[in-house]
Amino acid sequence: MSISRLISLALPFFLCLCFAVPTVRADNWAVRVLERSMTGSLGLPVPTHPVENRPTADKIRLGRKIFFDRRLSLNRTMSCGMCHIPEQGFGNHELQKAVGFEGRSLRRNAPTLVNAAFYETLFWDGRETGFETQFISPLLAANEMANPSAGQVVALIEELSDYDGAFEQAFGQPVSLHRIGEVLAAYQRSLIAANSPFDRWRFGGDTNAISEQQQRGYQLFTGKAGCSQCHQIGETSALFTDNAYHDTGYGWMREHERQNPPSHHPVEVAPGVVFHVSRKQIDDVSGPSLPDLGRYEVTQNPADSWKYRTPILRNVALTAPYMHDGGFAKLRDVLDFYNRGGASHDQQSPLIRPLGLTEAELQDLEAFLQALTSADFAELAREARVEEPDNW
Amino acid sequence: MGFRKLASVFAGATMLMSPGLSLADETCQSPYMPKITGEEEFVYVWTLGKEGIGDESDKLVTVDVRKGSDTYGKVVASLSVGGRNEAHHAGFSADRRFLWAGGLDTNKIFVFDVHSDPGKPILTKTIDTFVKDTGGAVGPHTFYGLPGRMMISALSNDKDHGGRTALVEYSDEGEFIATHWMPTAEDPRGAKIASDVVDGYGYDVRALIRKNVMLSSSFTGWSNYMMDFGQMLEDGEAMKRFGQTVVQWDLHSRQPKKVMHVPGAPLEIRFAWGPENNYAFTTAALTSKLWLIHADDNNEWHAKEVADIGDPASIPLPVDISISADDSRLWINTFMDGKTRLFDISDPYAPKQIYEKVIGDQVNMVSQSWDGKRVYFTSSLLAQWDKKGDADDQYLKAYDWDGKDLKLQFELDFYKEGLGRAHIMRFGSSKLFGS
Ligand code: HEC
Ligand code: HEC
Repeated sequence: MSISRLISLALPFFLCLCFAVPTVRADNWAVRVLERSMTGSLGLPVPTHPVENRPTADKIRLGRKIFFDRRLSLNRTMSCGMCHIPEQGFGNHELQKAVGFEGRSLRRNAPTLVNAAFYETLFWDGRETGFETQFISPLLAANEMANPSAGQVVALIEELSDYDGAFEQAFGQPVSLHRIGEVLAAYQRSLIAANSPFDRWRFGGDTNAISEQQQRGYQLFTGKAGCSQCHQIGETSALFTDNAYHDTGYGWMREHERQNPPSHHPVEVAPGVVFHVSRKQIDDVSGPSLPDLGRYEVTQNPADSWKYRTPILRNVALTAPYMHDGGFAKLRDVLDFYNRGGASHDQQSPLIRPLGLTEAELQDLEAFLQALTSADFAELAREARVEEPDNW
Repeated sequence: MGFRKLASVFAGATMLMSPGLSLADETCQSPYMPKITGEEEFVYVWTLGKEGIGDESDKLVTVDVRKGSDTYGKVVASLSVGGRNEAHHAGFSADRRFLWAGGLDTNKIFVFDVHSDPGKPILTKTIDTFVKDTGGAVGPHTFYGLPGRMMISALSNDKDHGGRTALVEYSDEGEFIATHWMPTAEDPRGAKIASDVVDGYGYDVRALIRKNVMLSSSFTGWSNYMMDFGQMLEDGEAMKRFGQTVVQWDLHSRQPKKVMHVPGAPLEIRFAWGPENNYAFTTAALTSKLWLIHADDNNEWHAKEVADIGDPASIPLPVDISISADDSRLWINTFMDGKTRLFDISDPYAPKQIYEKVIGDQVNMVSQSWDGKRVYFTSSLLAQWDKKGDADDQYLKAYDWDGKDLKLQFELDFYKEGLGRAHIMRFGSSKLFGS
């Protein structure tokens, strides 16, 4: 293993160690975060907050605490933050698909929550309408936090002395399920990171903020490669999503593979040591693998099979692995998939077609995606760690 | 650590090394521990609860192994602790009066009194503040008795459930003493990085007192050891997160001295017993290699690959190992093919397999008596790694070894008995306590 690879593996932990040295002051961070939450960041529109849940520093502070509180799961080991890991882009670099309570499998990759405030619906299939209600499903899902009931979670927070007075301070009211949703929402809506080199170039008037190669990549993204038809870029801001659902062919391809698995699978058991393990050997130690039909599971409309919500591509270089099941390790894998024209099955979106991009063009496109990384991203991780996660 | 503490650790060490106390019942225990000189009377099996089996709870199962006893080969006690904690390893305190058993998922540690009535352990204490006490270590694994205290290797951490972790010390009374984080690239803590590779991961911890050496090995974090094994094999990201190091520590000062490169997840560490034998064995689970960790004439420690275990390409997955008291034999279980394999290790640099036998559809732990004549096996590796369907047989099997063949004495079906998944075994005897 090369040194740089080692360092990149080690980086997340390095960030972990930073919170021992409080670079973010515990008392005032939430005030600053509140401001960001109200004004947004160069390249993004001003975030909208529901009128009935205006953010405050107290709500953000409390939301952060709950988000990382490992006690709020049946066996006190899972929090939101164990799957949405700040140092790993508020997702998880170490797993394609998430692993929850007692090691139970999830079907999908834990997506980044940074800029999720700009989605109109939540989850890869858009089944949820907002943060205020979204949190209930991970709290109760048997393969996530496995709490026996929502009421139990409220009762637990009531009991834990370190929450004494906190909800009263934020709301003038005691803890309730509704208010837990509100503080989690306020915290998650504060996870905003734009002001990338691309933003400074496109919206900030800094013509040198991105390289010529990245500018060529931008031309491809908005032109020949057709990416911005779905990952949209506006006149004054860029969401990199159309908040709509598309069949890129990817979901269909993975389901086809699941139903027709290859006879052997390459397994890298140590750096550079790859063995081809037989299907039988894998099946012997595998639980059932579950199908994933995407948006169809929400609408029951066959026309929605294998459609997924277009993900925001901001900070995409920091949020590997990619796609709804984390099945692509590198950005280049995603680009190669698009260049091939997706999976070319019947229902696939007509916008996905063989692109004929040359090697140089693929590199330009990837360089452009690298320009979407916000300098403020690491700050979000530091803020997330103003205090240690709560344990029993 | 203050000078007084150091001095008392050292005094304990010298005392227990005095002649007459240097025999062990089973061959893989802390050398600080009092020993059974006769036959073991009970086998304690730390058992994982399983949904739909019995009371579904983790439990300490006591099996009578006194030949001639009415209840020979039978479960004589079963003590449920509540919950599925990912029961895994357990170890006696150095005075051997208590058995500490850990849960890799919930981080709970259960302390059983095994001296008041060795045939019926009593749960005397549950430590449920491990993560908080240690400042974020997750997954208490090996319990290695040092005089007056317990050295515990953890497997993960509370920030990302990855492999970065620590060694942790508690007093025999169950009070937290210290956390020693594993050396990493950013913070080697004074350790020499032998070949560029350092991961901060943990698994086993063992000591060679007369060399003042402690070794730790490296497995993987919570996300991997808790997840479906098959899913993990197909998850390229997860497979990148396995330990590749063995760390040499100064036993007394607890300072890491050297990080050695041992790829493929080195698991159990077994020091040789002979007074001239300055080496330990470990097996790399994923690459199926037997490694020798040895001191050279200048007291410098090195890692050397010395043998293949089965056909590595078929991923036999070597798991538990057990060294014979005379350092001539090493039992190595391979989980995937359910085999135990006996290696002749009289030349530690050139071990050779001399015997093998299929124990079950899957096999994990192996424990032998000090005289090597009795060998016990259990089946469970990790709840989500065990085989699925019919191949998930869960058992304790007791064999006699006559030097040529293993002869089955009894077997207990842990599902039929309504118990669960059988994991680590520890031996008990009333003779230890003068009764
Ligand atoms: C066991 C891992 C796990 C835990 C614990 C977990 N999540 Fe998630 N989270 C996921 C996965 C996987 C997805 C994607 C699921 C899907 O799209 O079907 C997700 C999706 C989300 C989304 C939607 C993001 C988007 O792009 O639409 C939000 C918001 C979210 N989680 C917040 C939370 C909060 C708040 C908690 C704690 C109450 C939490 N998560 C706990 C794994 C987890
Ligand atoms: C038809 C609409 C559409 C077009 C055109 C499109 N995408 Fe996507 N993109 C999606 C959807 C939908 C997903 C999620 C698919 C999934 O997870 O199954 C996605 C996923 C991605 C991802 C993974 C993001 C993550 O966080 O996992 C990247 C990177 C990406 N697209 C880049 C591009 C690039 C570059 C182009 C142009 C070559 C492009 N996309 C064209 C709709 C589109």
